[in-house]
Amino acid sequence: MLESGIIIRALMRNKIGALLIALQIALTMTIMVNAIFMIQDRQQQMQRESGIDEKNTFYLTNTVFAQDYNIQVEMQADLNLIRKMPGVVDAIQINAIPLSGGGWSMALQHEPGDDKDTVSSALYMVDDHGINTLGVELIAGVNFTPNDIQWRASGQSTWPDKTIITKAFAKSLYPDDWQSALGKTFYISQNQPMQIVGVMKNLQAPWNGWSGVERSMLVPFQMESQGSKYLIRTEAGRRDELMPIIEKALAERIKGRLIRRVTTIEDTRKKSYRQHNATNKILTTVVSTLTLITGFGIVGLALFSINRRTKQIGTRRALGATKWQIMRYFMVENFIISTFGVIFGCIGAIALNMWLATTFNLTPINIELIIIGAITLFIVGQLAVLYPARKASLISPATATRTI
Amino acid sequence: MLIMKDISKIFQTGDIQTHALRDFNLTVNEGDFISVTGPSGSGKTTFLNIAGLLETYTHGEFLLDGEDVGKLNDNGRSRMRNEKIGFIFQGFNLIPDLNLFDNVDVPLRYRGFNAKQRKLRIEENLERVGLASRMKHLPSQLSGGQQQRVAIARALATSPRFLLADEPTGNLDSEMANGVMSLLEEINQQGTTIVMVTHDALLAERATRTIQVKDGRVSELEILAQQAIA
Ligand SMILES: Nc1ncnc2c1ncn2[C@@H]1O[C@H](COP(=O)(O)OP(=O)(O)O)[C@@H](O)[C@H]1O
Ligand SMILES: [Mg+2]
Repeated sequence: MLESGIIIRALMRNKIGALLIALQIALTMTIMVNAIFMIQDRQQQMQRESGIDEKNTFYLTNTVFAQDYNIQVEMQADLNLIRKMPGVVDAIQINAIPLSGGGWSMALQHEPGDDKDTVSSALYMVDDHGINTLGVELIAGVNFTPNDIQWRASGQSTWPDKTIITKAFAKSLYPDDWQSALGKTFYISQNQPMQIVGVMKNLQAPWNGWSGVERSMLVPFQMESQGSKYLIRTEAGRRDELMPIIEKALAERIKGRLIRRVTTIEDTRKKSYRQHNATNKILTTVVSTLTLITGFGIVGLALFSINRRTKQIGTRRALGATKWQIMRYFMVENFIISTFGVIFGCIGAIALNMWLATTFNLTPINIELIIIGAITLFIVGQLAVLYPARKASLISPATATRTI
Repeated sequence: MLIMKDISKIFQTGDIQTHALRDFNLTVNEGDFISVTGPSGSGKTTFLNIAGLLETYTHGEFLLDGEDVGKLNDNGRSRMRNEKIGFIFQGFNLIPDLNLFDNVDVPLRYRGFNAKQRKLRIEENLERVGLASRMKHLPSQLSGGQQQRVAIARALATSPRFLLADEPTGNLDSEMANGVMSLLEEINQQGTTIVMVTHDALLAERATRTIQVKDGRVSELEILAQQAIA
């Protein structure tokens, strides 16, 4: 086809340059495919829903320093004040914020005792307003009632006997039928019974890099501690307007404590995935640079070989080659070199992926990505060779007689 | 038939104009074996390049097989080179990376012959120049004379009407030159029209017609001779 046999035979007599370019293509493809795979993986992670109403939610910290401060009373007063404010949907005290990177983790087990299999989960302490403030969706069971809520002293090691867990957590406990988790009693801290009264659609743990990030549980606790966080959900679009108002209202309601770190969940998400974004940018830059270098390498090699073959090209023109036939020669030649590069690139990409998969526990690459990588490199090759090929086609047939 | 009427060729290099051909007139008839001699720089190569459609001319009229060459575009000229003209160069101009078979194949591929036709023509023409047994050899494995024979086979493979040769023996010793000349004579006798530029007066004399180029014109001597024939 298209004198490819002749081109291959001619290439075999000038292997080195072609081989180097083929290797460069193979290397680019190996890195490109895996980098894009990693970029996609991160993007998918970033697109996972936290489960909460991110756009309309913010939080702040409340730090008590006064000695005579009644934490239980004042916290309830704080929440009552916030919940009554126009534009506020609901508010809670909470021990940890999804996406924030800091929080609690506990494990549940089917049977009491040491050395039993456990499944760990993020743990959020909330009251009966938890579901509404977080904006999570209860897909089975019931919410906590006000009677369920207990005060938890600092360092307390006993737990309430009720919990609401995410569907992902339920699936980990009952892989075959998550719904059967509802109503079941599990054991926390080895032997304290805890009944699952509700299941939420989703609520992420605070740690985005954790493999169990979708496993979370709510427990009906209010913390009696000097430092606590209030999570506040507003009506759509009113968050920014209410943030300073609530901060001021709390600060003015009672002295003896500090209201600080008023932060939106959106900012927390950004911060949480800052590293992901940065890594993706770096990977994108590396891949584009590498592709560009390969493109220039192809241009360079083609220009070099065309300069070396000026007389030969003139002779071909003298023997009747049209400009297009000359162009086509170099395009087919590039296609052949790219084919070798891409074949080795496929092998390289799969090998690197296998190594990454075993070393960093990544999932195996999908075949579409390899195909896309191959097509991309073929296109890059053809585009890169276009200018040199055009230049070659403009060599005058008179070159055949005019050069020695 | 190849007819040139008042062909001129001007090379423009910066401010300098070089008149390589001035009012060049020549008619080449079917079956001619014309040798072209003349001093260096007189315009012989320019004439041959224009005749072989490797170069365009500045003024004049040029008919090849009845077709006005001036009206052809680049593709048309490529096609005509491929179909009607075989070119032989002083430096052989074989493609060093290709063996003899593939070298002779080059113009046949541009012509679009199928594989079977090409194979037939390649073998036939390598046979004709006495190199059929070395088809798989590279040009570098041959002597100069043999390389020029391959080039002749390549030029003949497309069955052109005209064979144009620019100093085909210029890089050969006299024995090899003689051999190549004999081959050209044989080809001419078989019906191909040949125009050959040469420095060698002895070889020039062996042609059926001799013209001299001087200062870009066909010299008086030749014109007189043509009149004498008439
Ligand atoms: N590409 C060119 N540009 C400028 N001048 C040229 C070019 N080719 C040939 N010439 C000039 O045209 C004249 C004729 O050249 P040429 O036909 O090669 O002569 P010959 O083959 O008889 O030695 C010379 O003066 C030469 O320098
Ligand atoms: Mg010359």
